[in-house]
Amino acid sequence: MSLINDNIIFHLVDDNDIDIAVNTKLLQLSGITPNIHAYNNATRFLQAINANQELYSTKTHVILLDIMMPGMNGFECLDELSKLPEKIKTKLKVFMLSSSIDRNDIRLAESYDLVQRVLEKPLDIYLLKKTLEGILE
Amino acid sequence: MNERIGILYLDDEEQNLLSFQALFRRDYDVHTATNAPDAVQILNSKNIQIIFSDQKMPDVSGVEFFEMILHDYPDAVRILITGYADIEAVIDAINKGQVYRYVTKPWDANDLKICVENALEKFRRDKELIEKNKQLGEANAELEKFVYSASHDLRAPVASIMGVVKVAKMEGTDEKSAAYFDMIEKSANRLNEFATNIIHYYQNNHSEELIEEVNFESLIDEVFDKYQHLAENVNITFRKDIAANSVYRSDTYRIRMILNNLVSNAIKFADNKKQPCFVDVSVVQNKEKAVVRVSDNGVGISPQILPTVFEMFFSNTDKNVGSGVGLYIARQAVKRLGGVISASSEQGKGSRFTLKYRIRHEPDQRQYHLSPRGRQ
Repeated sequence: MSLINDNIIFHLVDDNDIDIAVNTKLLQLSGITPNIHAYNNATRFLQAINANQELYSTKTHVILLDIMMPGMNGFECLDELSKLPEKIKTKLKVFMLSSSIDRNDIRLAESYDLVQRVLEKPLDIYLLKKTLEGILE
Repeated sequence: MNERIGILYLDDEEQNLLSFQALFRRDYDVHTATNAPDAVQILNSKNIQIIFSDQKMPDVSGVEFFEMILHDYPDAVRILITGYADIEAVIDAINKGQVYRYVTKPWDANDLKICVENALEKFRRDKELIEKNKQLGEANAELEKFVYSASHDLRAPVASIMGVVKVAKMEGTDEKSAAYFDMIEKSANRLNEFATNIIHYYQNNHSEELIEEVNFESLIDEVFDKYQHLAENVNITFRKDIAANSVYRSDTYRIRMILNNLVSNAIKFADNKKQPCFVDVSVVQNKEKAVVRVSDNGVGISPQILPTVFEMFFSNTDKNVGSGVGLYIARQAVKRLGGVISASSEQGKGSRFTLKYRIRHEPDQRQYHLSPRGRQ
């Protein structure tokens, strides 16, 4: 199936501008999606969801969430996402992105129901695509 | 130690307390009590390092008194004073670790002094040990914190570079720039591998086991997925063959670390002249043991260096692409699993790494505690 679909929106949440730029390009160039929203901190992302709950409960949202961020980190963001209404949560497909390969972080991330997979940086498009195809089929 | 050492002596016979005080008050801060509640009061208010107690007293025995205070004052050295008739109680108390020594009545002044000196020595040794342990614990925690931040701070910029290069190559560019990007990519990959190895080395040595159900099917798929893009570049086919007839629990994290190492190694030393290139992972597992083989038809390892491949900073000089720590770490991880790893190879034909470990059946008592660090 093709992931280029107006009903799937990608969200990049990462404090690192280079990684946002790179991942945006990778998603576009590999033909995965043109629908990309970027946020350089988790608070802004949560605000965006809360401001438009209608949108978030209708379309599918693939979220690439960085773990280590100043202010609200990836896990704290997950805690907030977990509090959202069920109709939104079912639409969120979260991928944790991290350059840390700390086993405790991986374990912790995998313990969240919202998290589909933990991906190491740099983003492996092949892995992302394969996992997404499995989920969205 | 400038502060005077505090000694408490509990005895219902005041005469004993008086002669004890006469003996020690010059050198020590001596407190006495004729009953247990008074003695506890003194422990609460004074700094006491050594406690003497008579065994035979009307309300509580000496052993019972020590039992009472053991929890609140575990560091004080406890010495029982007793007549010969109570020897059974003394032996019992010593065996239970409630008293350090016993002194028989009537006491010899010299013996008693030596006893106090020994007790003091023990108190200082214990204290030093507790202090050292605390320092060690702190040093370990700091080191772990350091590795955690190093794992991020070192890898984050490398990962960014790798990402940028990937995009640059995808966007297409002139031939000269493409060649430079290849060089940057190669160097970034090596730095990334080395940083990863350092982290794995540390985690392997210091992390607790994480016991969970081992599913070879998904574990191997995961490893293959991770290296799929690399394998496609050099046209390598991954194959797996799993014969596992029982579910079991083991340290999946370490098994994955070993497999990652072996598979990425096989890709690195692939022989491009051969078609097809392959990496085979086979598993034979029953209730007693697991045998995992990773075989390839790569360039192989010469007989001279085959015995040294698991040594630290080993590097195959013919094709210098690794940091020389990967196989070393793999072997360390195998050791932690309680298994063995061996290599066989024929130059020009390929290599085979065999990992064997026994399957443990003891019920798993260990609980894995999620680290709160990620939430800080």
